[in-house]
Formats: sequence, structure tokens, C-alpha cells
Amino acid sequence: MYILRHMTPDPITVSPAMLLPEARALLNDYHFRHLPVVDEEGGLVGILTDRDLRSAYPSSVITDSERRLVYESVEKTSVSEIMSTECVTLNTDSTLDDALFLFDRDQPGALPVVADGKVVGIFSIRDLNAAYKTLFGVGEKGAVLIGLHDDGSPTIMTRIVTLLEKEKIPFSRVLRIFDKQVGDTIYLRINTFKIAAVLELLEENEFVVKKG
Amino acid sequence: MSTLPSLIIMDDKRYLLHDTGGDDHPEIPARLQAIHQSLQSNSCYSSLAFISPEPATRSHLMMAHDENWLFRFEEAVLAGQTYIDHSDNQICYETYEIACLAAGAGITAIDQIENTKNSNIFCLVRPPGHHAEHNIPFGFCFFNNCVVAARYWQHKYNKKRILVFDFDAHHGNGIQSAFEEEADSYYISIHEHPSFSYPGTGYGDEFGMGEGKGSILNLPLSPGCGDDHVEKLLKEIIPQKLEEWQPDAIIIAAGFDAHIADDMSGLQYSTELYYTLGCEVKSWADKYTDGKLLSILEGGYELSVLGDSVAAYVRGLLGK
Repeated sequence: MYILRHMTPDPITVSPAMLLPEARALLNDYHFRHLPVVDEEGGLVGILTDRDLRSAYPSSVITDSERRLVYESVEKTSVSEIMSTECVTLNTDSTLDDALFLFDRDQPGALPVVADGKVVGIFSIRDLNAAYKTLFGVGEKGAVLIGLHDDGSPTIMTRIVTLLEKEKIPFSRVLRIFDKQVGDTIYLRINTFKIAAVLELLEENEFVVKKG
Repeated sequence: MSTLPSLIIMDDKRYLLHDTGGDDHPEIPARLQAIHQSLQSNSCYSSLAFISPEPATRSHLMMAHDENWLFRFEEAVLAGQTYIDHSDNQICYETYEIACLAAGAGITAIDQIENTKNSNIFCLVRPPGHHAEHNIPFGFCFFNNCVVAARYWQHKYNKKRILVFDFDAHHGNGIQSAFEEEADSYYISIHEHPSFSYPGTGYGDEFGMGEGKGSILNLPLSPGCGDDHVEKLLKEIIPQKLEEWQPDAIIIAAGFDAHIADDMSGLQYSTELYYTLGCEVKSWADKYTDGKLLSILEGGYELSVLGDSVAAYVRGLLGK
């Protein structure tokens, strides 16, 4: 659950003095959207995004002469002049959940990970999606999700897991979701294609399978 | 004067030899027996001719599979293992040989289609294939019968732009894996949404990668969807893809487990929908491939409706 296992370590960084064309080439070449900006000691001073750069470059609807003027100005502009300095960061103790809350609250595209004031990694919203996909087994080959009605019994989780293990039914996740709208549900990720047999077994043991 | 039968059924009694161990395993020999019974009692029976396939050779299989997987599979069978990698993939001593015969059906059929007047062939095989990956079995499948056939058609007869259309209730992850980075190999699958269904792949936004971008069309349906939803896709979505792709050859991964009575999925197709599907794919073949069409059996596990569903599809293929 720690961010260290899911971030991109040692990301490419730029200095505040770098001129914009060089920074843009870096973003284009590596297909990044975010570049942490660091001082000589590696300390984070800002973050440069592809959106910052797009705003700095001339609009496609202006005249050629105006565009030339903007280009001349952009070529002399340093990263420090357009970067965002209000950076939300993660640290090496941060978890995936910390990142989820920050993405939800501030809606950045990526979060630098900082240790002792220095940038040691970057964690993007794409990394977050990948991490949660893995966590919940979304897109995992050879699995199926089954929903069971949760009757609120204090032993229902034990009974489900015991039954699956006793019958040697491979499963990888059991999630209990309290939801007033659709009703409390226990989701099982079963790693077998013998779906009908599993459903029958669950029903024989008085669990109520939710359809759809 | 005798007339040629309109549809060739590729089948073989040896397919019954693949024993999945009884118990609660749904992929059983009785599936094929149920299909035969229904065909025999159906009015379309006189339009059918039956041919036995040749087994696929090692070189045929290696167009779709890793050689290490072939060795591993053969060794497991000879060693008397009861399953490979996962208890879903039950095997017996004959399984390797029968899986070669299942993969060979498409090859024998393609030779018939290309060299004789038998242009419309349906292979009634087991074990099924569409979940099998390059080097790993999945969901009762060991060799990917459709991919082996596609590779053969592409290499031997230069039919480069090949389409596999899969109407099994489950996404054919093995076919997608094989095709998703290739520009000229197309896969269309209508299946139950992967959030609810095995094998958990086949989301609508998986449409191919790299050179294969746009070569995959996943059309997931929510549990409870039935004939209307499929007919809408057949009318409104698929034709424009076919026009764009102009396939040289068409293979149908014909699975019958989306039937309302089959509890391997939450889809609710009627028996008659399989007639519609048969008519539809035959019309694609008439339009794009000079009537040449290869169908290969995939899933379908509810014995009380499987035979009639297959017979309905066969009637559709025959236009009867």
C-alpha cells in the first residue's frame, strides 16, 4: 500500500533556469506530462506541466506576426517563470490512499514524492489507476466477480471463506461494501470458470447470489 | 442428380475422449452428444455432410503457441496429471491428442473451403479454445482453435485480413492477445461485461495497441441483456466495422452459453437468436468472402438447450 512500490523512481527533473523549448522537448520525447523542477541540491522548487507549457506557447488562432513575437519571448523564458510553485507532494511514508485523497481534493495530474527535501519519485494518476486495478484484480485474466447479499450476520464472512476453502474454489478477493441504495453486498473475486457450480454451491449453503 | 450439401460439419467421435473428470465440470463429452441429437432430429439434417478432421501438426500449433507450452502440455498428460495450472483445466491421458484434433479441425476445414466447393463449414470440437493464450491454458481451453485456424488461413492462403467474430458469452482473451498488436487481424466479441463475467477481460476501451490500434471491437453487454441488444449491435455497430475492414476471411467463435437457460453467464439470449446470428454471419460471408465461412464451437454448457441452439445457428447458416 506504500507509494514507494508504485511510483516512478528517480524521475527526470529540470532546473528552474532551463528555457522552455528544452523543457518542451523533454516532455514530448518522453511522453511525460509533469516535470518536477529542482534546485542544485535536488530540492523541489516547483512542477512544470504540459498545460503550463501549452498556455505559454502561442495560440493557433493568432496571426503569424503575433505568433513570431510570442515564440521569441517563449524561447527566452525560463521554467521558473511559468512553473507552479504550490506543489502538493507525497513522502516516502505515503500510502495509495493518501494519494487518492490528494488527487481527489486538489486534482493534480501527478504528485512528486519527496524524501529529506529531495525528489525521489513521481506518482501520477495513471499510476494510481494501475495500483488500484491490481489491488482489486480488475482486468485480471481468469477471474469473475460474484455479488452476495450481505444479511449483516456477524459470521457471514467466515462462513463464505470457509466454504470456498473447504471446496477448493480459488478466490482472490472478498470485499464487504455497505451501500444503502443497492443493499449491502459482499463481492467475491473467484478465479475459476466453473461459475455455475460455484453459484449452486453458494445457494445450497443459503447465500443469496445477486444477479447483475 | 445429387446436389452438394450446403453445410459441412467437421466432427469426430474422438472428441468424446477428452475426459474432464466428471464431478461438476461443465465441459463434458455429453455436450457434443446433445448437439448431435438435436441436429439429427432437425429438418436441416439432410443438408449436412459430416467430415473427420486431421490433427494439427506441431508446426501448425506453433503459429499460435509457444513450443514450451506444447511440451509442458504433452508431458502433463503423459505423466497422468489431472489438470494443468488450474483445476478448471482438467486433462486425461488422451487430452493432448484430442486438443490437436480440435485445433486441426479448422485447418482441415480451411483446406476444404479453399480447394473444394465446400465453402461453409462448422467444426463441432472440444476442448474449446478461445481462452487459451500463447503459452498458458485458461478456462477449459488448451489450444486456441480459432487463432490456429486464422494463422493457417493467413499463411497458407494469404488471407491477410482475417476476422474472428465471437458470440460466446465470455470474452475470448486468447484471441484478443494474439491479434491486438496486428494491423490486419480483427476481433469482434459480444460478451457479458467483464466486471461481472469470466475471464475479466474484454472492456469496451480495449481496442488494440500499436499497429493493432482499432483492430479489436469489444462489445460488452450487461447481465440481463438479451436478443434486442445483440440485434442492435448487429444492425448498428458491426456493419460499419466490416465495411472498414473488408475481411478476406471470416472465422466465427461460436459459443452458446449466453442462452437464458445457461447459468454460465447472466445474458439472456433465446434459442432463436442463434438462428439470427447464423443468418447474419452467412450474409457477411456472402458479401465479403465469396460465401467462405468457418465456424468453430466454443462454449455452451446447458445440455437442455445447447443442441437446439446449435441447430438454430445451423439453420441460420443454411438460410432455412
